[in-house]
Parts: sequence; C-alpha cells; structure tokens
Amino acid sequence: MMRDARTLVRALREPSSVEALNNGQWTELISVARAESLIGSLAHRVKDVTVPDRVRAVLQDAVEAHDLARQQALWEADCARRALADYPGKILLMKGTAYVAANLEAGIGRSIGDLDIMVARKDMPVVEAALLDAGWEWVKPDPYDDQYYREHMHELPPLIHRERDRMIDVHHTILPLTARPTPDVKAILDAAVALDDGLYVMAPADMLIHSIAHLFADGDLSGGLRNLWDINLLIRYCSGADPEFWIKLGTRAEIHGLVSELERAVRLAERLYATPVCKSRAGKRRFSDCLYVRRLLARDGYGRETRKITRFAFYVRSHWLRMPPVMLARHLWTKWRKGGKSSDWTRHR
Amino acid sequence: MSKMHQIMLKIGPAAFRIVSAWRRPLDQLTDLYKAYPAPTGETVDFTVRLEPEKPWRRFVRPSVHIGGDFWLPDAAPLPLEQGLLGAEMGMNLQMALGWRRHLLLHASSVEKDGKALVMTGQSGSGKSTLSAMLAERGWRFMGDEFALLSLDSGEIIPFPRLISLKNKAIEAMQDIASEERFGPEMKATPKGDIRHLVPPRDAIARMNKPARPALLLFPRFGHAPELRDMGQAEIFVRLTQASTNYVALGEAGFRSLTRFVDEVPVKAMDYQSIDQAEELIDGLWSELR
Amino acid sequence: MTQKYRAAEKDELIWHDLDSMTLLYHRPSGITHMLADPAPAILEVMGGVPLSAIEIAERLAAGFDLESNIDTENIVLARLEELSGLGLVSRVPT
Repeated sequence: MMRDARTLVRALREPSSVEALNNGQWTELISVARAESLIGSLAHRVKDVTVPDRVRAVLQDAVEAHDLARQQALWEADCARRALADYPGKILLMKGTAYVAANLEAGIGRSIGDLDIMVARKDMPVVEAALLDAGWEWVKPDPYDDQYYREHMHELPPLIHRERDRMIDVHHTILPLTARPTPDVKAILDAAVALDDGLYVMAPADMLIHSIAHLFADGDLSGGLRNLWDINLLIRYCSGADPEFWIKLGTRAEIHGLVSELERAVRLAERLYATPVCKSRAGKRRFSDCLYVRRLLARDGYGRETRKITRFAFYVRSHWLRMPPVMLARHLWTKWRKGGKSSDWTRHR
Repeated sequence: MSKMHQIMLKIGPAAFRIVSAWRRPLDQLTDLYKAYPAPTGETVDFTVRLEPEKPWRRFVRPSVHIGGDFWLPDAAPLPLEQGLLGAEMGMNLQMALGWRRHLLLHASSVEKDGKALVMTGQSGSGKSTLSAMLAERGWRFMGDEFALLSLDSGEIIPFPRLISLKNKAIEAMQDIASEERFGPEMKATPKGDIRHLVPPRDAIARMNKPARPALLLFPRFGHAPELRDMGQAEIFVRLTQASTNYVALGEAGFRSLTRFVDEVPVKAMDYQSIDQAEELIDGLWSELR
Repeated sequence: MTQKYRAAEKDELIWHDLDSMTLLYHRPSGITHMLADPAPAILEVMGGVPLSAIEIAERLAAGFDLESNIDTENIVLARLEELSGLGLVSRVPT
C-alpha cells in the first residue's frame, strides 16, 4: 500500500519505471494521480510504455477528458475575447488556459478549471460591466465577501456565465493585495506576449514566476505536485528556448519580490522531477525543504490526504501569507460567526 | 492513518475497487455479488471510498462519507447501516463523472430475442421496477440505473448492478423473488426505503452480450394505460438531460445520440400495473420489424 | 445597418435534422444547439463571406418562399445578434 505519492512523482520523472508495477500498484497509482489532478499528465508521459490493457483504457479516457477540457477552455477564452472586443487594454490569459493557448507542453494533459484573466486594475469596472452585459452573472451575492474581494483580493468576486455555466476569474495582480510580496503588475502587462487572436499571455519568465507565486504564496500547497509539475515543464521549455532565460528569470523574481520563492521552487523541482536547473538560482538548501516535500507527497494509495499536522501547518501559513494578522483574525471571526465553511478563495488551484 | 479494507467488483465493462473503513458494507457487497466474476489481482477503472465523515465518527454514531477517484463536494453522509447503499451510490458517481467508453443514459434496459428495450424517465417513473419485473417474465435484465450505448455499434451494453428497489416496489418484488436474492432492508434513506435485489442468474451469466436497441419508452406510473408518440426534439432534449456524459463525449456523443433518436422507435407509456405495462410492451414488441 | 457578419466555417459545424427543429453541433465549443427556423437557413445562405442583415434577407428571399408582409431584415438582424451571442456568427469589424 503506497504511503505517499512518490510512485507518482517517479512515474512522471521516469515513465519507464511503471513497467515494474503490479496490478494492485497500478490501481493505487491511478487513485493518487486522480487525486493530485495529474492523471492527464501521467497518461501523456507513459504513452509509449507498456501498461496493462485496462490501465491503457483508463489513461486514454484521461487523455480524451483533458482534450475536451482544453477545447472548452479555449472556447471560453474566445467568448471572453468577444465580450471584451471594445476594451482597448490587454487581456492576459493565466494558468492552464494560457498554457494551452500558447501551445506549451505544460498545457498537455493538464486539467483546467475556470478561466483566469488579468487586466489593469483601473479597468476592472469597465471589464466587469462588459462581462455582465455579455451574459455572466455573480455567483455569490454576499455583501461581506464582495467587499473583501474587491478591496483585498486580487480578483473580482466570481462570475459565472448564465448559459454556458462556466466561471471566469478576473484578476488585476497575481497575489492578493494583502499578501506580503507585491509583484510589479505593470511590468507583467508591459512584457506580455500577444497571441494570434489578440489575447495575451505573460512573458515566459513572468509565467513561471506566477506559477511559483501561486504554489507558495497563494495556497496551502494542495494541488502542489501538479503546480510543481507545471513549473518543471515551464523551466524545461523556457530554458531550452532561450539561453538567457535564467538571467531574465532572476531579474523578474527580484522585480516581483519573489526571489526566495523562486529558489525554493527550483530546488523542489530538481529534487522531485529532476528538472535541469541553473545552480545559482537554487539558493541554499534549507531544512524546511523537507517539510515541503513531506507536504507535497501527502497522499496514500487509497487517494486519501495524509499527514494532517503538516497539512494544517501549511494551511495556517497560507492564511498568514495572504493577510496581516489583525485582518486574519477579523476575517476568520466573521466567517465563524456566519457559520461559514472554509472560504471560497481556498478553492483556487 | 487508520486501516482500510478493500474488495474488487466487476460488472459488465467496468471494474471497481471499493475501499471502506468498515468491514460490514464490504461483506454485504461480497455476498450479494458472489455470482459475479471476481477481478482479484486485476486492475480497475475506479476506486470508491467509504470513510468516516469525521475521524471520531468511525465508531461513535458511525457516519459514512462517500468519496473516491471522482467525487462531489458537499455529499451528504449516510449512517453505517446504509453503507451498502453508499457503496452503490459511490459506483454510480464514478460512472456518472468518469465513464467515457459509452454514452451513459439514466435508463433501465432488458433484452428479448437479441433486441433491447430501454426505459428512461425521472425518479418515480418506475423504470427500475419495470426492469426488475420484466426480468422475471421472460426478459433478460441488462441494468436498472445506467444504459450504456456503444459509440461505435449503437448497441446497448449490459451493466447489471444490484437492482435498487424503493418503497412499494420492495414488497411487490418480495412476492416474486426468493429471499436470498435480497440485500438488507434500509429504511428512511435519502431516497426512501430501499432494498437491493440481485439480478437473475442469466443476467449475470450473459453480462457480456450486448443487444441492439429496438424500443425506447418513457414510462409514467400511476396513469391510465396509454401509449403516445413523442416529437424528436423533445426526445433528444430529454435524452441529453438523462445522460451524464453527453457533453463530455463531444462529437462522438452527438453522433451516437442522433443516430439513436433516428433509429429507435419511441413511445411515452402510462400504466398503473405491471400487467398493463407488459401488455402494452408486448403489443409494441410484436409490431417491431 | 451596415454591420457585416460572418458564419462559422462549414467544417466547424455538424447538422442534423429533427422533425421540428435542427440540431447543430459546433466543434470549436463542443456545444450542441437546437435551432428553429429561420436560423439554420440564415447560417446556410451566409456561405463563407461577410454579409449584412439586408444582404442575408435578400438571399433568403431568393432561396425560400417567404411571406410578403414580414420584415425579413429585422428578423434576420435579431437572429444574427442571438447567433453572435452563441458564437456561431461573428461580427466583422468595419
């Protein structure tokens, strides 16, 4: 019985390693991969490796399901583009949708949730109005959450399209405003790369920094293995395409105040996924790297989350990072008084 | 982490691993599925997990949270006495959210003369009970929850899980089927009183024999017996509503469902008893070419 | 209006007639639409070229038997706006 997710990590790193798995281990690996939203990526990695027949069918299902997700994501981006046809500013695609729109390997087999776009903060009202006009609606009409979102988070409250039933998240920066590193959004917008259809994606270094920011500064590391896999693929692709990439990456990390996060991401990607890295960008190894690895691998062969204490420590830390302590106390107090369950913004992956 | 137990089940084209914090639901499943081929040592398509809602609910007023490879947030937990129902619901959930190898219709199906009768409708239409009863009257049972429509051949593929009988249907079937085929009585579940029924032997033995769909019915229990034609647009819309994976299958789903609507005759059928239903069905069946 | 519209490419669409409505599977979106007349006819006569509502109305009149007292152009315009919202037709920038 697998006690943690290292078999999955190894399968992604060295696909041929799965040839040694017995049927029981395959069943566990599939449960772990599905729980970590990595089954599409696993399916692509092992496509040329010999696997049992039923496993081949399961993996093929994952490939097809992710192809559909990709198609829907691109369509959703196109709908947003048309709704915002009269908006003159840049509309940046983010996360999974950006990877597939830019045809990156990081987009292959990737599960994609909502559409995430970024626009300049001053234009949020006009973008919001255009989306509402084109058939999107607010998901939650709660005044407290609404106020909190607008003032402190890095996005509008969630919008859903009334007919297509798909959500859109409109961001104006890559981290919550209350979080401690404050990225340079203007630099991101200025450096953005245009796609054929008029939408934009971030420049490669910024795309990677965003993924890193998301992994460490915006969540409690659930979905961390998937996030780190994105980082691994982005590093491989970007460094392969541009010999100056590591220099640019270092510069961007300094501009955005995310140097130690970059260093940790580089160390973890190398340690788990054998990502070829530039040593000078890895910083010094820290003891806490082990805790991160422990947290990232906390999934058993039944698909259950494990390592509750480590998990809880990271959960508290993620709130700490997003809000100063006084605000955190007030927010959690209000949430508790309303009897709310864990708040919506922890759902973002 | 606490110990979990597991068993494996294979029904038609799908294989499951059922993991549970408690032995009892797995023992019940093993007993009821004993005539089915056991896929020990094989791989599966899905894992279902039955876990305590909270750690302390493992022993104190044990409460079963239904999860697995595919899951829904805010799933309501069940008491342990309904753990068997939880396992069956868990398997339904995996199929509904994760199965792509056939178009799934929320329908029951039975076979005669190599042809399949498919019955679809909302809860309370009686499709499940009709299939159970026809299975005792010369038809072969193919499934009561999902009808699997082949994307290539247009055939219906058998998926005969335990038949889920509700409320009055339990008593009606108890008069017909022998007691050893029944699972435990579960009262006051979210879906009313439920008892599971093991399908007849030949349904299990011929689990791998598909059948061409020859008639689609929209049954409606509790109305004077009548057959009505339906417009194709209405049929198509109702079938997309009855399918959990139509959208996920994209173009293949579109082609498969339009072919089904083109090729299979359809009737709305009102009835008040199994005898009335059987008479109407026999009449339609004998007119088929 | 002189706003021109362009229909989705033929190979992006799969049509299927039902008795009273027409089904349309739109490949880029994966969405199945159920269209009532005259929307299918409008999409059909648009071919691959940008056309205005009045030009489409003329093509419809040439190809189909239309009632003489209806305001074809405005009906076509209303349908075009709906089809545009669904992404089956796009407005061509002037």
